[in-house]
Amino acid sequence: MAAEIELVGSFAEEEECIHAVEALRRSGVEFRVFSPIPSEPLIHAIGRGLSPVRMFVLLGGISGVLTGIAVTVGTSWEWNLIVGGKPVVSWPPFIIIMFELMILFGGLSAALSFFFFARLPQLEPIPGYSERFGADRFGIAVECDEADSARIEAMMREAGAEKIAHEDPRPESAEH
Amino acid sequence: MAAALEPINTNPTYADIDRGVRRIMDPPGVIFWLWIGFCATLVAIAGALWTRQIYVGLGVSGLRQPNMWAVYITNFVFWVGIAHSGTLISAILYLFRTRWRTAVYRFAETMTLFAVLTAGLFPLVHLGRVWNAYWLLPYPNERDLQPNFRSPLVWDAFAVSTYLTISATFLLMGLIPDVANARDAAKGWRRTFYSILAFGWRGTGEQWRHFQMMYLLLAGLATPLVISVHSVVSWDFAMAQLPGWHSTIFAPYFVAGAILSGVAMVITLVIPMRRLLHLEDLITTWHLDNLAKVVLLTSVIVSYSYITETFITWYSQDQYEVVTFQARYFGHYGPLFWLMVWGNCVFPLALFSPRMRRNTTWLLIIMIFVNIGMWLERFVIIAGSLATSFNPSQWGFFRPSITEIMITVGSFAWFLMLFSLFSRYLPIVSMTELKEGIQWLRQSLRDNYYPDLPGG
Repeated sequence: MAAEIELVGSFAEEEECIHAVEALRRSGVEFRVFSPIPSEPLIHAIGRGLSPVRMFVLLGGISGVLTGIAVTVGTSWEWNLIVGGKPVVSWPPFIIIMFELMILFGGLSAALSFFFFARLPQLEPIPGYSERFGADRFGIAVECDEADSARIEAMMREAGAEKIAHEDPRPESAEH
Repeated sequence: MAAALEPINTNPTYADIDRGVRRIMDPPGVIFWLWIGFCATLVAIAGALWTRQIYVGLGVSGLRQPNMWAVYITNFVFWVGIAHSGTLISAILYLFRTRWRTAVYRFAETMTLFAVLTAGLFPLVHLGRVWNAYWLLPYPNERDLQPNFRSPLVWDAFAVSTYLTISATFLLMGLIPDVANARDAAKGWRRTFYSILAFGWRGTGEQWRHFQMMYLLLAGLATPLVISVHSVVSWDFAMAQLPGWHSTIFAPYFVAGAILSGVAMVITLVIPMRRLLHLEDLITTWHLDNLAKVVLLTSVIVSYSYITETFITWYSQDQYEVVTFQARYFGHYGPLFWLMVWGNCVFPLALFSPRMRRNTTWLLIIMIFVNIGMWLERFVIIAGSLATSFNPSQWGFFRPSITEIMITVGSFAWFLMLFSLFSRYLPIVSMTELKEGIQWLRQSLRDNYYPDLPGG
């Protein structure tokens, strides 16, 4: 079912936006939220759970440790020389390299997986975005049929929307 | 400062914060470019002297046996130390959800990045044959020769390059929402520049959800990293047998010193920039007060470390250690040592007084002394210990040459130039985080400027 209309509600306060999100979720309406701040309550209200970025950071960290082992132990075996009576594979100093590579790979995985899941870089503007949503207003964009628009608009107004704009939906728009 | 005298708005809105920060990014005037030109000249002089040193050899520096580590390595440790407060303020205090960090963390993070960049130059400057620097890294080669992973210098190469990468990533990731905000208000080439750095960020709930997780985990990874980096730097010394270096307390002692010097540098930069860029309504004395408390705490830890170090030497009755410490306190470098004690241990005690913590002039003076003291600490440890090693026939006295002095001056100019350019072209104060904690900013502004108001 193609949406006929896109409603973009603008909210001055975080709480109002959260109320609207909760109301929309209760009615099973799909929507997209814009926020100028990293609001934990808002992310919680959207109800999408924890980001999978954390799994990739774990994998990155583990691969860093394994790389550290490969680099230190591998090169020591390759040049198999006992120096100062110490074992060829001496773990205490090697742990430092493993630790540093764990942080390096974990950190880079965090950044790369964030780009992947947040769909960045994004060359096209996201439908419903307005410059104020990056600055001082919270926004909710809902793609819906003409028939539903009055009900959804009423829900947003009740939650405290200060303005609701009607825009043409874009067929290729992805849900965010 | 006309703008500073304007009545302060104690109830700023999101739009006020945006206006305040975007104003800093207005095109800079002639004085700014004169300042950049001045810094660039000093950097060019340092670059020319380094080039000469590469061509002629390390003989142009003051490095002579036994003092083969001196000013360059001091600068390296100093700048790595400066970098530490950035990660402390941006990562550790983020994990603790500290309220006052929001206004100053971007300052500290930016400082971290440029300080590590500056620090990273010094091991290269210190190398006689700089073109062989890549030998520190493991790379495939026909002789199967690899770096010795038991060497602290190799740990250092890994630690510092990881630190540089992670702090740059942390800074760039944190910048994304702010740069997107700046993009929406910018025109011309700036809009293109900000668009590239914002990666098309639009602040959707989904983007924030992943952003928050990424940022939290980066902070979680950066926290042990920051402690490990200066520990590894301290092991460059502590792993050696040299009296004055060979000590087990070096890691915590260096980490505390690094945070002390780093936070002192943040305050040293914030106070003048707050005045020059009219940021009094974004960075209040409440923020400075809290930064000063961190300085006070770390100063006390550093003082305790000095005492412990001395106690261990006395308790061990190791004759070499005792002689080294006698020389440190009362020898050639004695005046530098006592200036260090005043700078790092005595002057910061004034910060027990809340009035001193909130007086920007005194705070700045104390911080400059801390900066000097922390530079001297590294110099006294490095050059001082090498000067009086085991055998008196090998004792020596290091005197820096003009090359070393000008390269040191050039490193400060290089750091300040990069920092100044960043502060005028990218948001040096985080708009998103200030907005997130806007109630604390409002509270601090009321407390600061109108303490008698109800609720103030």
